[in-house]
Amino acid sequence: MAEAKKERNKIYAVCVVGFLFILSLLYIQASSVYVYIVAYLWFGFLYGVLQQYGRFCFASAWRDLIMVKVPRMFVGIMIGLMTLSIISAWLFIKYPTFYHPSPIGPHELIGGLIFGLGMVFAGGCATGSLYKTGEGNMISLTVLLSLSFAQAIFVTMPFFDPMMDALHLTGPNAVAAATPDTWHWPQFVLSTEIFGIQEGSHASFIQNLIANSFLNTILIAGILMIGVYVIVVRKGFLSRRKAEMVKSADGSEVKTGFSDDVAGFISMISSSKRTTIAAVLLGIVAAIQVFTMSWMRDKYEFGHPQGDSAAILEQTGNFGQIFGMNPDGSSLTANPQNANNRPSSWPAADPGEAAQPKKNQQGQQIAGTGATMFDPGYWYITTQEAMFAGWIIDGVLPVDLKTPHYNTDSSLPAKIQEQLPPDQDVNGNRYFGGYNALPKPWHSPALLLSFGLILGASFLALWNREFKWKFPTRELFFYAVLGGTIMGIGSRIALGCNIGAFYTRAAFGSPGGWLFFIGMGVGAYISARFVNYMANRKMADMDFDIEL
Amino acid sequence: MKFNKKDDGSYELDVTGYVCPHPQLYTLKSLDKMKDGMILDVLIDNPSSVESVTQACNGKGYTILETHSPKAGVTAIKIQK
Repeated sequence: MAEAKKERNKIYAVCVVGFLFILSLLYIQASSVYVYIVAYLWFGFLYGVLQQYGRFCFASAWRDLIMVKVPRMFVGIMIGLMTLSIISAWLFIKYPTFYHPSPIGPHELIGGLIFGLGMVFAGGCATGSLYKTGEGNMISLTVLLSLSFAQAIFVTMPFFDPMMDALHLTGPNAVAAATPDTWHWPQFVLSTEIFGIQEGSHASFIQNLIANSFLNTILIAGILMIGVYVIVVRKGFLSRRKAEMVKSADGSEVKTGFSDDVAGFISMISSSKRTTIAAVLLGIVAAIQVFTMSWMRDKYEFGHPQGDSAAILEQTGNFGQIFGMNPDGSSLTANPQNANNRPSSWPAADPGEAAQPKKNQQGQQIAGTGATMFDPGYWYITTQEAMFAGWIIDGVLPVDLKTPHYNTDSSLPAKIQEQLPPDQDVNGNRYFGGYNALPKPWHSPALLLSFGLILGASFLALWNREFKWKFPTRELFFYAVLGGTIMGIGSRIALGCNIGAFYTRAAFGSPGGWLFFIGMGVGAYISARFVNYMANRKMADMDFDIEL
Repeated sequence: MKFNKKDDGSYELDVTGYVCPHPQLYTLKSLDKMKDGMILDVLIDNPSSVESVTQACNGKGYTILETHSPKAGVTAIKIQK
């Protein structure tokens, strides 16, 4: 009977992979160029498999360290970061523009703190909730939905723009691309900053390795791991080691020394083999994704727009560029020779949007607006989920959420205001719309990555008999909605979540990623205290009947 | 969550249905209330908590006597304090 159940689970696991294959074939049958978004789907699958295998959730990095003194995830993340950062030194040579650094400023610390508060309540980070959903955990799905809709609603609130302006974040993504000085905080990767690389030139492999990989990642991650060993692990490890040494010393005096600390440090790293293995492989897969997406952009020439909109489109993600529009309203075509490869239904954000490009106050068409696609090109979570919720609010729910008038935003220079879309619906929102209009979910590359991640985790959980449908109780529903909502707010302020605002930034040479990580730790500490207090109250009401 | 006495010095904690951080938190709090040498059987249906409970017990010097899966998605861990 048990064997039959095991076999049935494995059949379900194979069905998950079969479904992905069929889905991939359907995309590719529609057009060979759709292999680009199919790649996102399968990279998501790999992330899901590895995260489920390693129980890889960024929330537990801080939370378990604070609450139960378990460093496995903290250490795992540091190892994954180091792996990715070392490979990225080469990726920056191969594809110098694959990464567009975000502004480095206090919003990362504040957003990280809020995100950290939420992730402890939610029981998982943004990407952790995705893989746990794949395990059949509907509490995590509740977190995801709360996270998605909280983002979409939060950015439409009237106080949001003044708040972001107060954080000196004035300057929407798309507008910043056209006029970088509208971001009030610096944008750079460490190698170009330290070695004074001029615009149009690129740092060498060694320069990337020294600045981005060593200084921005390995050194900081190493110091943090040593700190965790000294503060959390060392005392217990040396105490146990000394006890073992006493047993075998036949009464002679024993002392622990540096070699025992080295053994303790190694023991900390290797204590959870599956987490450490997953961490290294996640770093490698993340690097392979960067390489693959960049290679495909070259192959399909997504990254070489023509016309005056090129400068704008170059910054906004490349995927939708072939459906971008020149200022004269004509379609933006990268290379006519490749035109036959492209389907007429290539996923422009919305056919209606593409057919009726937005115009500024003077009635002039805005290049690219409404016809490009959010396409990070690397591991990214939450922005696509905000877009998904925005798409539902905008197109499905009978709710009319208005966004601020960007084209009358007095904090922006008049020249910029003229370029901004006059739209007030979520499509025009600079935090997930603007030049990157809201995509249909099945055409959103990054959302397909999230979908693939859920299925990847489902596959492995089913294969290993770890899949179990789990539905929220009232208590857990409350925590899930509260945590998801708070995480959503934090991730919009920080312009990313634990992946986009921390992992990739810290691995790709942007020091701001560490601000988010520190903020996450402070937020996690505060909410861990609250959850601990609630747990104590709950246990005080229970009859433990233990004779002490 | 259910906490029951099974036998003298042997207890059972059922935290199925819970997600992180509750299973690891309640397991360690229960162990805190127990005397050295006592046994705690924990039932968990949250894979990441199984990993954290195992690591936390190793860190505290508790002994994991047995780990098995009584049914799909559920792990039983026998811990000696």
